[in-house]
Amino acid sequence: MTAVNRYTLADMRPGLTESFTVTVTEEMMAAFAAATGDVSPIHMDGAYARQRGYKGRVVYGMLCGGLFSTLAGVYLPGEHCLLHGVECRFARPVFIGDVLTVTGTVTDVSEFAAEAEIKATITNQDGQKVTRGTIKAGLAR
Amino acid sequence: MTEQEILAAVQEIFRDNFDDDTLVITRATNAGDIEDWDSLEQINLLTAIEKRFKIKFKLADVRGLKDVGDLLDLVARMAG
Repeated sequence: MTAVNRYTLADMRPGLTESFTVTVTEEMMAAFAAATGDVSPIHMDGAYARQRGYKGRVVYGMLCGGLFSTLAGVYLPGEHCLLHGVECRFARPVFIGDVLTVTGTVTDVSEFAAEAEIKATITNQDGQKVTRGTIKAGLAR
Repeated sequence: MTEQEILAAVQEIFRDNFDDDTLVITRATNAGDIEDWDSLEQINLLTAIEKRFKIKFKLADVRGLKDVGDLLDLVARMAG
């Protein structure tokens, strides 16, 4: 089981960076479909996705966005986090089997709000940025 | 900065945060006047103000804010 980081508000300084790597699997896609009920054929049907011009089923953008929850809740800041908000941009399609590197860097810290702003990116195995985001992470005082 | 200049800058922040280009705020405007002005939006407003005026609030600075007038006075004190 992955160890959960325990950065505190005082630890969170601009420039602090954490990252992790994950491979997108069929099982992750099936679990996301079951959890959300999103059975759009672009995500479920390879032939349909290829007909639309993609090389295979397109991974849910929000599955990638969900990795920002992992970034905040496990890595940066980790245990003391309660998400306040996430903004995502899905810049390029992601496919099953892609190896994604999820990285977050603290860009601002508000002491009064006990909140850190984290610039987050996901890049694929070819070094292409597939998802960009801004995370507002609240921290326990 | 004059209070009018601060008000204009803060109003732009309110318009951006609430996605309403017609929003007009006054010293008397408070959270009861804007439907989406909840506790999380309060944080978003204040962090945007921190960035705009290059100031940093302490919890004690913002705990007692009742309306936009209090906010303008606080920014005026801290931004000089």
